[in-house]
Amino acid sequence: MYGTKGKIDLAFEYQSQASILRPSIHSRRANLTVKFQDLYGFTVEGNVDDVNVLNEVREKVRQQGRVWWALEANKGVNWYLHTTIGQGSALTSSLKFSALANAITLKKLIRKGIPPVLRPKVWFSLSGAAKKKSTVPDSYYDDLTKAVEGKVTPATRQIDHDLPRTFPGHAWLDTPEGHAALRRVLVAYSFRDSEVGYCQGLNYVAALLLLVMKTEEDAFWMLAVLLENVLVNDCYTNNLSGCHVEQRVFKDLLTKKCPRIATHLEALEFDVSLVTTEWFLCLFSKSLPSETTLRVWDVIFYEGAKVIFNVALAIFKMKEDQLIITHHVGEVINVLHTTTHHLFDPDDLLTVAFNQIGSMTTNTISKQRKKQEPEVMKELDQRIRRLNSLKVDDK
Amino acid sequence: MATIGHNNLNAKLVLLGDMGAGKSSLVLRFVKGQFLEFQESTIGAAFFSQTLAVNDATVKFEIWDTAGQERYHSLAPMYYRGAAAAIIVYDITSSDSFSRAKKWVQELQKQGNPNMVMALTGNKADLEDKRKVTAEEARVYAEENGLFFMETSAKSAANVNEVFYEIAKRLPRAQPAQSPAGMVLVDRPAEGSSAASCCS
Ligand SMILES: Nc1nc2c(ncn2[C@@H]2O[C@H](COP(=O)(O)OP(=O)(O)OP(=O)(O)O)[C@@H](O)[C@H]2O)c(=O)[nH]1
Ligand SMILES: [Mg+2]
Repeated sequence: MYGTKGKIDLAFEYQSQASILRPSIHSRRANLTVKFQDLYGFTVEGNVDDVNVLNEVREKVRQQGRVWWALEANKGVNWYLHTTIGQGSALTSSLKFSALANAITLKKLIRKGIPPVLRPKVWFSLSGAAKKKSTVPDSYYDDLTKAVEGKVTPATRQIDHDLPRTFPGHAWLDTPEGHAALRRVLVAYSFRDSEVGYCQGLNYVAALLLLVMKTEEDAFWMLAVLLENVLVNDCYTNNLSGCHVEQRVFKDLLTKKCPRIATHLEALEFDVSLVTTEWFLCLFSKSLPSETTLRVWDVIFYEGAKVIFNVALAIFKMKEDQLIITHHVGEVINVLHTTTHHLFDPDDLLTVAFNQIGSMTTNTISKQRKKQEPEVMKELDQRIRRLNSLKVDDK
Repeated sequence: MATIGHNNLNAKLVLLGDMGAGKSSLVLRFVKGQFLEFQESTIGAAFFSQTLAVNDATVKFEIWDTAGQERYHSLAPMYYRGAAAAIIVYDITSSDSFSRAKKWVQELQKQGNPNMVMALTGNKADLEDKRKVTAEEARVYAEENGLFFMETSAKSAANVNEVFYEIAKRLPRAQPAQSPAGMVLVDRPAEGSSAASCCS
């Protein structure tokens, strides 16, 4: 085994940040689709407008970067770690005030995006991954990967099957080195939590974590904190019960926050989970452009899983006018797909998500989940019983 | 449900089967005429639509390509609810996938729409040297359960369009009263696969 701690040598690492994308003259004239690699090495197809948007976004990212560096110069390195009040009651009131001020600044700042170079460090501290890692010996990840090397389980078989099917064609992920790294992270996690084992969907999440975090070990801890602390329980376990709960909570929220859309879709007999299940399980990584996905993850890792609801609602809300004149299921799906695939400016999405949805606290979401849980459990249970009775009939 | 409007039929179709059996590949072949050596794994489900001309009617398929991993099973009812047709896919190189297919058949027989047209397809027929499930075994099972059966290859395109064409032919043309005068859409008991041109 090699390279579990080594940095991933991303050939495309941030270099594209500096270069301006230039569609060829021909494509500009004919308004053809152009293909290019985005910041994280994904091949993107878009029209010239999309390219222009991406260039503007990159400029904004650079400006945000300057803001972060200025703050670091002003407040000291790791200032963002000192945002929790009440830890030491001995804090002077002025220190408390500065912590509070930091917290407010930080929340705003994160919603505007963490600069890609700082992302691994900021995510690792703010998500709780650093803390999680600090509770076990330093060699935990290395020991775990060594201990499970060569073991074959249903989970490892499924992981092997999915490696070449995870963002195929990606400049780094779809190489032997990329496959090996993703495999180690997923396999290690499948042994850490045998109830989760391997769930399809985690391959995409872990792949993106690898691209951001640069080291397997950090990606592993981000995956752990995500599944164990950030997301609702049992999102990925045997019958995805957590995911079922989230879907019900989401439907209620859509009815409340976007009543016109909800009513219209109901009339079309369109169950929104048909589309949103993937958003919740892959955290948008299969639907949104990578840079937009990661801007969403910036906020998820700081504010929690409720952000998924904000963002999912925003996608519907942004297209309200188009959605309420659809006539059938196919059209609805088309509107949503086209929208998500072209969301190259993260701010378009996040502005709606945080300014036009109305506030939703983690607390209210938790209450909603509690309310839905018994219903979901009952339904899943009935289903299992029905399926078991099928087996008896079979004899 | 298959809904009728003039001689146009809208039919919801769902693909079920083990992970990696080739559901997405079959749909991609049918809808876009393409094949990818490495097809992304499906999470939840993906939607496609494609129109076929059959005899003097057109059938617009609304296709739900579902995720194959066992734990996604709990989501399936959402996709097969109200479906007019189902394609249950297994991989001829995997006996496990054939067992999974049988479970799907049972579930649909119990829970699905009673008039559902069901097809059983043994995919990856191009991998003859790795075969684990014989065509005979599958054909017998299909006959016993009132399904129609074909072996397909999304890779070589063999029989892919034929499966959809066959389903289109078998969809119940109910409510003749709604058909325009002079036109009767009959449910043809088509046998085997016809090489008739389809989806052109
Ligand atoms: N040789 C061969 N390979 C195939 C064929 N159909 C699919 N495959 C390959 O098998 C793998 C799985 O195919 P998919 O179409 O993704 O399978 P799926 O049933 O959609 O899988 P899930 O989405 O995980 O449920 C892919 O790498 C395909 O390229 C076929 O007819 N012949
Ligand atoms: Mg698939």
